[in-house]
Amino acid sequence: MKDDELDRILSQEQDLVPSSGFVRNVMDAVRREASSPAPIPFPWTRALPGLVLCVLALAAMCVAAFLGSGTQRLPETPGPSIWSAIWTGLSSDLAGLLRAANVGGLGWIVLALLLTFASVTLSLRLIGRRT
Amino acid sequence: MSASDDQADVEQVLAGNVDAFENIVRRWQSPLINLAYRFCRDRGRAEDLAQEAFLRAYRALGQWRKDAAFSTWLFALATNLYRSELRRLPAGIVSIDDVSEPRDSRMEGGVLEVEDRDRTIRRAVFTLPTKYREALDLFYFHEMDVPAAAQSLGLPEGTVKARLFRGRELLRGKLKENV
Repeated sequence: MKDDELDRILSQEQDLVPSSGFVRNVMDAVRREASSPAPIPFPWTRALPGLVLCVLALAAMCVAAFLGSGTQRLPETPGPSIWSAIWTGLSSDLAGLLRAANVGGLGWIVLALLLTFASVTLSLRLIGRRT
Repeated sequence: MSASDDQADVEQVLAGNVDAFENIVRRWQSPLINLAYRFCRDRGRAEDLAQEAFLRAYRALGQWRKDAAFSTWLFALATNLYRSELRRLPAGIVSIDDVSEPRDSRMEGGVLEVEDRDRTIRRAVFTLPTKYREALDLFYFHEMDVPAAAQSLGLPEGTVKARLFRGRELLRGKLKENV
């Protein structure tokens, strides 16, 4: 079969006539769309400082990990594990408990708690401003 | 259908007159439904797809840059939607045996036989791999205008020509086996 004949046959597609309610259906959908509130755009300007901080923190962690892995450590006798320290702390007094927490990195725990508190407070304030 | 009518209606819609969009729908409903039908071969689904295309056109009306004709922009948007929707929910795998219609011995040598063959060939396009079928569908929808088909598909003209050539070859191969 030649191209001309194929072209002739494939060009003769029968046209469909739209159903009578098509325009009405489309316009109903369009009016619904028009009456619905516009989607809230993502607050890039507000989120940007947080995102930048995250990226910087990630970079700092990577650098710290890289520098940490470069230093040679001498083999040392294993110190008290966190669990044994907690056990000691619980069995003695509050000072002992704090010491136990410090073995596991109290500073980091406090920092994480503060960051969590700050992020929750900030998001609550942002929501409060919107409503 | 004049380009100035489209532009005037688009400007009215963008100014807040939603009802002006009805003129656009009335003007382009038939081409958009027929284009969708070429993709899915199902009348009901073709209307659903065309409705979704109009809705997307309404949402994106502000993105139409007036350097291209409104129809070019609308067909490209609709083609993109139809292609992605049919990839997401295929119309069903069809073999040439399914699209070939039973032959009637009374039709031999008559007009009806020719019509039967033509119909079989048109439906056989539906059995081609998607990329060749899309090229053929758009080419014949745009009345054999390669640049228009290429714009709707968002492909270079050379790619469309190559796909048309390969699509026709595949079609001939299928027809030799079955017609």
